[in-house]
Amino acid sequence: MPSLATDLKLDSALTLSQAAIGCEFQIRRVEGPACRQLRDIGFCEQMRVKKLTNGRNMLCSVCGIRLALSKDLADQIQVVPA
Amino acid sequence: MSKSSLEARIALVGNPNAGKTTLFNALTGQNQKVGNYVGATISRKSGTFFTPHGHKFELIDLPGSYSLEPNSPDEQITRGVLIGDQDGEETPDLVLCVLDATNLERHLYLLLQVIDLGYPVVVALNKIDSAEGQGLRLDPTALSEDFGVPFVPISAITSRGLTDLKQALRHPFPAPPGRLWKGPAELEEAIEKSISLSASNGASNPAAHGLMNVAQSGSKIADFIQKTRFEHIHRAVEAGLQRPDEAALALTDRIDAHALHPVRGWFIFTTLMLAVFWSIFKFAEVPMGWIEQGQASLQGLITKLIGEGDFQSLLVDGVIAGVGGVLIFLPQIVLLFFFISLLESSGYMARAAFLMDGIMNKAGLSGKSFLPLLSGYACAIPGVMATRTIPNAKERLATILILPWTSCSARLPVYTLIVPLIFAGALAQSLALFGIYALGTLTALIAARVLKPRLGKTEAPQFLLELPPYQKPQWDHVLRQVGERAFAFVKKAGTVILGLSIILWFLNTYPKSDSEDPAVQQEQSFNGQIGQLLEPVVSPLGWDNRMGTAMIASFAAREVFRSSLAISYATDEEDGEAMRDKLSASKRGDGSTLYTPLVGISIIIFFIYALQCLPTTVVVKRETGSWKWALGQLVGMTLFAYLAALLVYQVGRSLGYS
Repeated sequence: MPSLATDLKLDSALTLSQAAIGCEFQIRRVEGPACRQLRDIGFCEQMRVKKLTNGRNMLCSVCGIRLALSKDLADQIQVVPA
Repeated sequence: MSKSSLEARIALVGNPNAGKTTLFNALTGQNQKVGNYVGATISRKSGTFFTPHGHKFELIDLPGSYSLEPNSPDEQITRGVLIGDQDGEETPDLVLCVLDATNLERHLYLLLQVIDLGYPVVVALNKIDSAEGQGLRLDPTALSEDFGVPFVPISAITSRGLTDLKQALRHPFPAPPGRLWKGPAELEEAIEKSISLSASNGASNPAAHGLMNVAQSGSKIADFIQKTRFEHIHRAVEAGLQRPDEAALALTDRIDAHALHPVRGWFIFTTLMLAVFWSIFKFAEVPMGWIEQGQASLQGLITKLIGEGDFQSLLVDGVIAGVGGVLIFLPQIVLLFFFISLLESSGYMARAAFLMDGIMNKAGLSGKSFLPLLSGYACAIPGVMATRTIPNAKERLATILILPWTSCSARLPVYTLIVPLIFAGALAQSLALFGIYALGTLTALIAARVLKPRLGKTEAPQFLLELPPYQKPQWDHVLRQVGERAFAFVKKAGTVILGLSIILWFLNTYPKSDSEDPAVQQEQSFNGQIGQLLEPVVSPLGWDNRMGTAMIASFAAREVFRSSLAISYATDEEDGEAMRDKLSASKRGDGSTLYTPLVGISIIIFFIYALQCLPTTVVVKRETGSWKWALGQLVGMTLFAYLAALLVYQVGRSLGYS
């Protein structure tokens, strides 16, 4: 039973590569050809993630662990502001 | 119940890569059964083991799952078994949850889901050694209190903590802790109702079914449950896990601000790499001298002890010269691996891969190919083996195929012999050596770019890497790795190289000639005859038959080129200076100088590109699983080397160089 709040929440979803630097996000969905690989390294649904740098390869912090990933992988991670 | 009959069924649950299978093997040893789940092609592994109290348990290794909201057929099975929906499976009496201590926060979600299902649970906190190595401090007591289940720190790989784990699986099992969160009255009521409905429908585990049904009944409820679970996890982690102190993380970020900077990062990287290479060549000189001396004294001793003859020659010229000629590179290999392990252990290597990703990308590869290629400068074999860390199959194959063009240390003796024949002065010689390494690397990268699209359809290389916090190197780990590499190298010298040396000696010694002159003997030997046959092939490169013979011999191992030339030009001296004098003085049949700068360059070009290393071909076959790639690489690189040397020599001559 989707509520207005959920709709709004879904609307505010963006990919990790679109996310702003320095803000906390929560991973909403990991979807794409590399989703298993991404989950293996720590990008799991509901985890909190903070983007540290932009660029072709970006740096993120998940649970205090620094992870580097390319833009096409970051596009497979959907986040919402935490 | 008798002590030998099964007393309980334990399900092993955990995220993929949590070390579940390693723990399963460590606990059950040989007592395993492999079958299939009913109606699925997913294999079902079970085994038995005894606790220290003599209880016999069955352990079922359930497929790895990130959560009980299944995303794949594997996860479906795990969920099915736990909620009692899987045909032909009884629900377990206890769940043994394997968590990766290095990534605890992520793994705790699955644990909470399992606890919610109402099972007694024991937690194996696996990879505790790595977690401690990363500076994580875990408090199993605090975690046990927070989750109401025992947390046992273990390392399944080293078997650390396995006895404690078996003790914790004491029978009768502890009461299940039950759900650790409470929802609003409305939700609790819905859960109650759902459980009684499941019970009246005859579900095998009504509590689990009831909760699962409610959790899936709407996104609002699912969101609430997820949020509540994560709040619990955050609280528990705050109490039970201390990350490397803030100061260490802040230090890592401060260092990374420079180490990953687009300009300063490159400066640091280049300086470090130059320092590593300079140290390898500089510090290896002394122990290499010792090995050389040791080899000479051993040869002297054997010459004294054993009378002149074939046996003495086999030992002195074949075995000791052949094996010694390879062992002499041991110090360089040890130093290279020491620095590589040091950079890895301190956390810098991941940063180097991050920086190199841009350049590698231009060649169609990713930063993950950097480390294998770097290892290739010491020896292609560990380099080829290091490609296992590249997840993309095509990228891995392309890296393996170009890797032998990063100049390995076995080529160095040939370069150091020939370069001074062409260039005078230390600076010119160093620059030439640098140019040789750069040419090999550049060609390798261009080849990757040309080759990769031809290896079949492939997605763009992806880059995904953990950047561990900088830390003091773990010396025991560094030394163990260096020791393993050194042992593997010595083993290769004692087996493959030893065998090849004996064969080469045979080909150089037989058939015997009446002449005492070693050069004549060489000419008449099988090898010499092969060299003469080869002369029409190698003369367009500016080489004579003796060089052809040495080149053929060097296909067994490149280092043999030097000793083979030494025999051909009748010099006992393997000392570079004396041997170079001899080479400079050698003439062609028409009296012209044989080793002109152009011939020297032609030899070097051939050695940069030719894959003269049979052990590499064997390893490439093993790693690619096909002789097609291994032999294709051998033939392709040799042909390329020949054509490149031919082009350089012939163009050089037509331009008037000699």
